[in-house]
Amino acid sequence: MTRTRKPGISRRSTLALMGAGAATFAAPWVARAQAKTIKIGMPTILSGRVAQLGTSSRNAVMLEVEKVNAAGGLAGRQIEMVIRDSKGQPQEAARIARELVNTDGCEMLLDGEASSGSFAVHEVARDLGVLCIHTCSEASSLTADPKQHIPNAFRCVRQGIHDSIVGAGYAAGIAKAKGLKKWATCSPDYAYGRDTTGEFVLYLKKFAPDVEIISESWPKLFQPDYTEVVTKILQAKPQALYSCLWGGDLTSYIDQANIYAMFTQMEVFAVNMADYTALTVVKNLPKGIHSGDRYIKTFPPTPENAAWGDAYKAKYNEYPTNWSWQNATAVMFLNEAVKKANSTDGKKVAEALTGLTIKCPFGADGTVTMRADDHTLVGYAIGWGTTIPQEPYVPDVKAGDWKTIFELEAEWKKSKGYT
Amino acid sequence: MTELQAGQGAQPLEVPRIDARPQRYRDLLIALAAFSVLALLPMVFGSKQLLDFVIRCAAYGLFATSLNLLVGYTGLISFGHGMFFGLGAYGFGLMMQKTGVPIPVAFVATLAITFVVAVVIGAICVRLKEIYFAFVTLAFQMLIHSTILSWQSLTGGDQGLRGGIPRPPFLGIDLSNHLHLYITSCALLVIGLLLMRQIAQSPFGYTLRMIRDNATRASFIGIDVWRAKLVIFVLAALFAATGGIIMALFVSGAYPEFAYWTISGEGIFINMLGGVTTFLGPMVGTVLLLILNDTVTRLTEYHGIVLGIVILFFAIGLRKGLMDFVVEWFAQRRGEGRG
Repeated sequence: MTRTRKPGISRRSTLALMGAGAATFAAPWVARAQAKTIKIGMPTILSGRVAQLGTSSRNAVMLEVEKVNAAGGLAGRQIEMVIRDSKGQPQEAARIARELVNTDGCEMLLDGEASSGSFAVHEVARDLGVLCIHTCSEASSLTADPKQHIPNAFRCVRQGIHDSIVGAGYAAGIAKAKGLKKWATCSPDYAYGRDTTGEFVLYLKKFAPDVEIISESWPKLFQPDYTEVVTKILQAKPQALYSCLWGGDLTSYIDQANIYAMFTQMEVFAVNMADYTALTVVKNLPKGIHSGDRYIKTFPPTPENAAWGDAYKAKYNEYPTNWSWQNATAVMFLNEAVKKANSTDGKKVAEALTGLTIKCPFGADGTVTMRADDHTLVGYAIGWGTTIPQEPYVPDVKAGDWKTIFELEAEWKKSKGYT
Repeated sequence: MTELQAGQGAQPLEVPRIDARPQRYRDLLIALAAFSVLALLPMVFGSKQLLDFVIRCAAYGLFATSLNLLVGYTGLISFGHGMFFGLGAYGFGLMMQKTGVPIPVAFVATLAITFVVAVVIGAICVRLKEIYFAFVTLAFQMLIHSTILSWQSLTGGDQGLRGGIPRPPFLGIDLSNHLHLYITSCALLVIGLLLMRQIAQSPFGYTLRMIRDNATRASFIGIDVWRAKLVIFVLAALFAATGGIIMALFVSGAYPEFAYWTISGEGIFINMLGGVTTFLGPMVGTVLLLILNDTVTRLTEYHGIVLGIVILFFAIGLRKGLMDFVVEWFAQRRGEGRG
């Protein structure tokens, strides 16, 4: 008797498929049993237009984790990072964060999400009570708004309000010295762009009251063509321009504005220029653009910072980004907090993190602090300088004064109804 | 004189009526069985990931099946169906955050808002055919998405609804409890599917199929095509909004991405994966897509390539969705058995 095989899926392979499917979900993941290692989960953006956010964050985290592991780990437990791509979708960020904690057995989260994704992960942290450090979201409200406050979440990121205060102080000095009264703004049309520009203008007028905004442009995020915006600004003939465009948008804008020789006709203040992601990509970087420091290995001008930037470049063959130093600092904070708490228990580490000051290559005075009242990073190096077309790109950065930042930030919080 | 009035003088034809009740009972029994299995699942498997998975399946499943009412049953390819998903999430989230009304009230009120918006948008869109319909729905979706982004004081702009969605307990159900949320999502999914099944199997459902196959003929036998299309457009919007509400509860927030065209794209993709000729095709497509997404993103960050290859396989290889393929395969097998 011969057996004929019918085309299609056999019963056996169907059973095997079903088994594999069931195993995927039913397996209680032996992770928790391996208590010796400590798993830290990290949802971030590894694909799409801002994939560099995720990859440069991951690089920095791995650089620091290797150091911690080589020194014995967190309270004797080796760190194992579980890093997943959320594609920049908040619902995916929430799902991945939950999966990392509930299924993969991660005991802590580093949230490498931007904008809405970070708020989605924040809600997961609120729901699950897991220790979470945000490492990429610059939205001030994430920690300034008391509605957002939860004892187990921290933010190890620079903030728009800090940048605006320092930037406006610096710009006002130049405006007064050079008599720049007519200003234009050009920033991306979303919450970060609107908020940061609004705050910059507010403080600029506070420091230099005779400044007047004569033109505002709000190009869309990820807009490819800026001709219309550039010509609009040129027609308005301002003496100075402020922009918080960033990344690819900023480099496209500069390349296109160069054609119209815009940078010879006005002083340009671009807060996000001094980041290697922008500095090394622009075709002809104009001399004399004023910029805030995002990450640059010559500021703060310390051997520790330079060494860190070089180590990163040696390992990954590219310079670190602003996201890199923030993520590295988060791992440094975790390491020190675990040492202080002498435990890896999330609650104890959170208590230790609150108000913790650590030594850090990115600190304004060699240290950074996780401020106790709003669980956010302060004391990091922040300053403004002007660009030159080759390394070190921004040779002379003028440091901002944290005392002024604290005073004005407190006023700002009050005006927003946060305190 | 319209076609309908012209036919009024004639004697009505005696059409033998098929009793739909046995099938209705069968659907109800299947729904009850499905709900029981889903409700028992947490007792068998302790995995929270599985519960999360089913909750997401409920959200996307309702959304994709409602889209199939338009695409598969009526032949209206909507590229903007995601706007109702987003509207559901934002409507519910805002209602809970701003007014503090009980959850069932917010649920009904969200559906009421969706109803009004869908009637207005639908009244404009369903007059158009094919590509024009697709693009105008897409345009409305982008309008709603832009409104969410710009109306910062209400929606929080691109950062979404922040601070979590309050979930006060009602009738002994506490949606901040994971298990309660799971059971509620399953109930909404099963009830939603059952209702959509009834719509699809009703005379109205067959009217839709006729419109899909030949709208002119449908109009000539006295069907108000515009009204039928509008009714199904609005009904589909209500189910999509329910999916959005489940998603808002799951992530405890609402984000502009929920109303972006990519969500509509995912809906179309799910329908392609699962198939549009069977009622459960989109549900199967949802499960398939979410399993694919969850496993592939776990393994590689080049998930785009993998998902792209899967689409190519279905579009060029099978030339139909999975359920279409399975149904045909069974029919063929049965045919062989008889032969």
